[in-house]
Amino acid sequence: MTVLNRKKRKPQDRDIVFPIVNGLILCVLMFVTLFPVINTVAISFNDGIDAVRGGIGLWPRVFSVEAYKSLLSDKLTYNAFGISVARTVITTVLNLFFTSMLAFALSRKEYIFRKFITLAVVLTMYVNAGLIPNFLLIHRTLKLSKTFWVYIIPTMFSCFNMIVIRTYIIGLPEALAESARIDGANDLRIFWQIIFPLCTPVLATVALFVAVGSWNQWFDTQLYCGSKKYLHTLQYLLKMKLATSMNTTNMANTSVDALANAGATKSTPVTVRCAITVVSALPILLVYPFLQRYFVTGMVLGGVKG
Amino acid sequence: MRKLLAAILAIMMLLSMTSFAMAEEPLTVTVFRGDPGDQPTEDNKIYKMIEEEFGVKFEIEFLAGDLDETLGTKFAGEDYPDLFDAGNSAEKAIAAGALIDLLPYITEEGTPNLYNHIKDLLPQLVNENGELFIIPNYGINYNAQIQNACNGPAFFLQKQVLEWAGYPQIKTLNEYFDVIEKFLAANPTNENGAAYEGFAILCEDWRHFCLINPVQHLMGRPNDGEVIINVNSGNWETETFIDKPYAKDYYAKLNEMFKKGLINPDTFVMTYDQYIAKLSAGTVLGMFDQTWDFGTATQALETAKMYKNTYIALPLVYDESYGHGVIEEHYLNGAVPNKDRGFGISVNCEYPEKMIQLFEGLLSDKWQKILQWGIEGEDYYVENGRMLMTKEQYNNRSDATWKMANTAITIWESAPKKQGTQDDGNAWAHSDQGENYFALMSDYDKAFLTAYGYKKPADFFNAPIELAPYGEAWQIDKSPIQDDYDKYLLIQDQWLPKVIMSADQAELDANWDAFVAEITPYAEVYTEFMQAEVLKLVEQATK
Amino acid sequence: MMNGAVQKSVIPPPSTKKSIWKKLWDQKYLMLMSIPVLLYVMLFNYYPLWGWRYAFQNLDLTTIKKGADWIGLGNFQWLFNEKLFWLGFRNTLAMSLINLVFGTTASILLAILLNEVRSRAFKRTVQTVTYLPHFLSMVIVVGMAQNMFITDGPINRMLMSIGLIDSPVWWLGEGKYFWWLVGIINVWKEVGWNSIIYISTMTSIDPTLYEAAAIDGAGRFQRILNVTLPGIKATFVVLLIMNIGHLMEAGFEIQYLLGNKQVYDFSQTLDVFVLEFGIQNNKYGRAIAAGMFKSVVGIILLFGANFVAKKMDEETLL
Repeated sequence: MTVLNRKKRKPQDRDIVFPIVNGLILCVLMFVTLFPVINTVAISFNDGIDAVRGGIGLWPRVFSVEAYKSLLSDKLTYNAFGISVARTVITTVLNLFFTSMLAFALSRKEYIFRKFITLAVVLTMYVNAGLIPNFLLIHRTLKLSKTFWVYIIPTMFSCFNMIVIRTYIIGLPEALAESARIDGANDLRIFWQIIFPLCTPVLATVALFVAVGSWNQWFDTQLYCGSKKYLHTLQYLLKMKLATSMNTTNMANTSVDALANAGATKSTPVTVRCAITVVSALPILLVYPFLQRYFVTGMVLGGVKG
Repeated sequence: MRKLLAAILAIMMLLSMTSFAMAEEPLTVTVFRGDPGDQPTEDNKIYKMIEEEFGVKFEIEFLAGDLDETLGTKFAGEDYPDLFDAGNSAEKAIAAGALIDLLPYITEEGTPNLYNHIKDLLPQLVNENGELFIIPNYGINYNAQIQNACNGPAFFLQKQVLEWAGYPQIKTLNEYFDVIEKFLAANPTNENGAAYEGFAILCEDWRHFCLINPVQHLMGRPNDGEVIINVNSGNWETETFIDKPYAKDYYAKLNEMFKKGLINPDTFVMTYDQYIAKLSAGTVLGMFDQTWDFGTATQALETAKMYKNTYIALPLVYDESYGHGVIEEHYLNGAVPNKDRGFGISVNCEYPEKMIQLFEGLLSDKWQKILQWGIEGEDYYVENGRMLMTKEQYNNRSDATWKMANTAITIWESAPKKQGTQDDGNAWAHSDQGENYFALMSDYDKAFLTAYGYKKPADFFNAPIELAPYGEAWQIDKSPIQDDYDKYLLIQDQWLPKVIMSADQAELDANWDAFVAEITPYAEVYTEFMQAEVLKLVEQATK
Repeated sequence: MMNGAVQKSVIPPPSTKKSIWKKLWDQKYLMLMSIPVLLYVMLFNYYPLWGWRYAFQNLDLTTIKKGADWIGLGNFQWLFNEKLFWLGFRNTLAMSLINLVFGTTASILLAILLNEVRSRAFKRTVQTVTYLPHFLSMVIVVGMAQNMFITDGPINRMLMSIGLIDSPVWWLGEGKYFWWLVGIINVWKEVGWNSIIYISTMTSIDPTLYEAAAIDGAGRFQRILNVTLPGIKATFVVLLIMNIGHLMEAGFEIQYLLGNKQVYDFSQTLDVFVLEFGIQNNKYGRAIAAGMFKSVVGIILLFGANFVAKKMDEETLL
C-alpha cells in the first residue's frame, strides 16, 4: 500500500520541481551561448578603430555600419550570394535524394549486397587520398574547374548522413513497409510513398547538415574557381574580405604602403570578422525555423507526444 | 521551388554568355596573387586606361586560404596563370619550374626601362645559372632614397614617457628600461586607472621576431634575421647569435624586468589581436617590434587623439658595461631589393613578349605617375613643380572601396616599380613626399620632434648604411634545411620565455644552459647553411 | 494484417530455394537505388587513392614536375622516428577522446532536457539559441575564450573571489590545462548543433510507449531511462562507432588559434604537424604518408568499435 502510494505521488512531486529546474538549467545555458553571439553582433556594428581596443559588451560603444558597408558596397557580393544560394539548394536536393535512396536500400536486411556496399561506402569516411590527388581528379580528369558544377558534383553524397537516415529507417516500425509489400508495392514505391514521408524529421536534420556544409564551403572556390569572379561564392568572398582587411595591417617590406594606410581605414579585422559572421550566418538562421519545425516537435509519430 | 530552379538556370546561362562575350577583343591575361585582395570594379578608371593603351584585360585570382596548400595544387596540376606572383613562397614557384627566365626578353634596345631598372643590381638578382625569374616588386630606388621614419625594427617607447622625463636621449638598453621603470614608479596607472604594462613581447607564430631578433640590433647590426655577419673582415663570418653569451645579456635583462613586474607573463601567450588591443588602449609603454606590424594600433591611438600614447622608434644598443665596447647603431639599412618577390611569367603563358612589353610600358615615368599618384587634377595637383594632394585625395588612396574603382593596385603591387625620387625632385611614392608626410603629422608630434630639435622621426637614427653585398640575410631561402630550421625556431620560442620568467639567477643559468644545449645541433646546421649562402651571394654580387 | 502474415509465410518456402539469380532479380530496385552512389564513391573516393603511391615517393617541389622517385618506406620511417609526430599522435588522441566523451554526453543531456520541455515555444527558443555558436567562427570563439582565461581575466577573478585559488592560474601558458580548455570550448560551441540529431531521433519514439510507462506509474526519470534512452540508443551507438573511427581527427584550427609555443607539447596535433612539416615544407610525400597512417589507424579503430558493439549485441555500423 505504502509502496503504491509513493509510486503515485512521486511523479507528481517531480512534475513541479523538475520543469522549474530544467527551465533554469536551459535558461543558464541560453545565457552562456547567447552572450557571445550578441557580443559578436554588437562588435559588428561598432566603429572599427574603436573596437580594436576591446571591451565591448552587449551594445556597440561607437555605432557604425562601416564594416557592413565595406562588405555590401561591392556589387560582386550580390552575385556571390546568388551563386551560394544556387549551390546550396541544388546540392541539398540532389544530396538528399541520393543519400536517402541508398540509406533505404541498405536498411533492408535481406539485400544481398548490403554488407559489401555499406563497407565500401563507410570506408570512404576514413580513407582520404589527400588534397592533391583529389584536386587532380576534379581539375584534370573531370575538367570541372571554372564551372558551376564543381560546387555540385563532388558533393552529391554524404556517407555520414546516409548512416543517420539508415539508422532512422531501421528504427521505424517494420509493419508499415511489410503491409505495402504484401499489397504488391515494389521497393521503389515503398521507399517513395511510405518510408520517405515518414523520414521527414531525419531528412530535415540531414538537409540542415548538407545545406550548412555547402553554404559554408569556400575552399573549393579557391581551388577551382578563384579566377572566375562571377563564380565566387559568398563565403569565399567574405573570407577574402577578412583576409584583405588583416593583410593591410601587416604588409612587410612595403615601406611605401604601411604609412599610406594610416588615416582612412574605417573598418578593421575585428569588426569585419564579426560583420562577416552575421552576414554569412543570417540566411541560414532565416531558413532554420522552417526545418526546425520538423525535427524539434516531430510531425509524423511524435506529433501527439506531450 | 521550380521558380527558384528556373532562376538559377537563368543566372547560370547568363554567366556563361557573359564569359563568352568577354573572350572577344582585348587579350585576357590571367593573374594569380599569393595574397588576399579585392577585385577591381568593372569601370575601374586605371584598368580602362591600361586596356586602351596595351590592349590587355586582367582576370585576377587572389588567395584567401593557406598559400602553400594552394600552391601545392597549382604545382601538381601545372595550373598556372600568365602572371604568377606566389607571394611569400615565390621561390617555390621557381623551384617547381613554373616560371620562365626573363633575361632573354630584356634588352637595352627593346626594353630600356626594364634594362635600366635592373642593370646595376643584376649580379645580385640572378641565380647561380644566371637566370632571372622575377623582377623585384619593391626596393629599387631612383636618385635619393627617402627615409622619413623608421619603418622597420626598433625598440618603441610611448612618447609620453620621454615627455615626462624631459626629453632625454635614450640610446642604450639600460637607459631605456631605466626610464620605463621610473615612469612606472611615478605613474602606475593611466588617468582611467588602468595599470600600465612596462614592456610587451609579442611571440605569436611568425611574429616571434619581437622575441628573437633584438640582439643583433643591440650589437649594432641591421636586420639579418637570425644571424650576425662580420662585414668588416672580408671573410663574411656568419654566426647565429641567439645561443651566444651576448644574447644571454639581453634575456637576463628582461628577466630582471620580469622580476620587477614590468613584464606580464600573458605576453608570451597573447595573440596578435590581443597585442594590438593592448597597444591601442595605450597601456603598453614599450616593446620591440617593426613599425608596420602595429599600424592598426597607431591608427587607433591617433583616431582617439591619444597622441602621447603613440610610439617613437629608438635605436638601442648595449652600453659599455656589457663589455662589448662602444657599439654604433645601424638599424637603418640601405634599400633592399625585394628579391624573388613579384610577378613572374609562367611557363603556360603563350605571349611572354607581350607581358614584358606591358611591364616595360608600366615602368615608364608616365605610367609610374599614374599608378602611384593617379591622374593629375583628379587625384593630385601640381604647384610650383611639386606634386601635392589635398587631405581628401591623400586619404582616398588608402580607402579600400575607393581603391577598387580608382587604382590598379593589384597589378602595381606585384609589377616592377620606381621608388625613391623622380628626376624633378618629387617622390615616386605619394606617401614619401615630404609635404604630404608632414601635413598628416599631429601638433603633438611636431612639438615632440621640436623638443628634440629634430625634423622627422628618422632623425633619432643614424643614416642608413650601405647595403651589404648579400642584401639582408633574412631573405635567404631556408627551404633546403627547412626541417632543422623549423626546430631551430621552435626551440627558441619554447625556451626564451622560460629564461625570461626564471625565478632567480640559478634558474636563469640552468634554463639558459639547457636552451643552448638543445639548440646547438640545429644552430650548427643553420650556421653552416647560412655561411655558405652568404658567401655564394657575396661572390655573385662582386662578379 | 493477419492475412498478410499468413501469405508471407506461405510464399517463402519456394523462394528460399530460389536461385541466386531470382533473388537478384527480386532486388533489382534495391540495386538500382544503390548503383549510382556506388559508382560515385568509386570515382570520387577510391579512384584518387591511386595518389597514395606518393607516400612511397620523395614527392616535393623539385620532383613534382618531372616525377618523383620511389623511396620505399622512407617517408614512414621519417615520420615514425620523429618525436613531434608521436607527440602529435598523443595530443590528437587525447583531445579527440575528451571531445568525444564530453561532447556526446552533453549533447544527449541537452536533447533529453529539451525533450522534457512541454512548451513548444520555449523548446524551440532554447534549441535555436544553443545551436547559434556553431555559426561563430573559431577565431571569434577562441578570442573570447582567451579574454576569459587571461591571468587577470574574469575566470581567475571569480575563482579567487570564491576562494578556490589563492593566486591567478596561468591557464593559457601551462600545457596541462590545454586539452581541457579545448574540450570546454568545443563542447560549448557544438553542444546545441550536435544535439539536433538526438532531438530528431527522439521524435521517432512511439508516444504510446510514454503513455504506457506513465500508466505503469513510472516517474519522469524512469521514463527517460526506460523509454527515451533506449529510443536513441541505436543512433548513439552508430554515431559512437563512427566517431571512434574519427579519433585521429582532432582538428587543427582551434589548436592553432588557442595554442602557443609555451603549450606546444600539448597543443600540436597530427594535422598541425602535417601542415608544418609536410605541406609548408612541400614534402608532399610525407604529408600523404601521414594521411595514410591516419586512415589506417581510423579504420582499425572503426572495426574495433564495430566488433565490440557486435559482441554486445548492439546496433552496428557495418
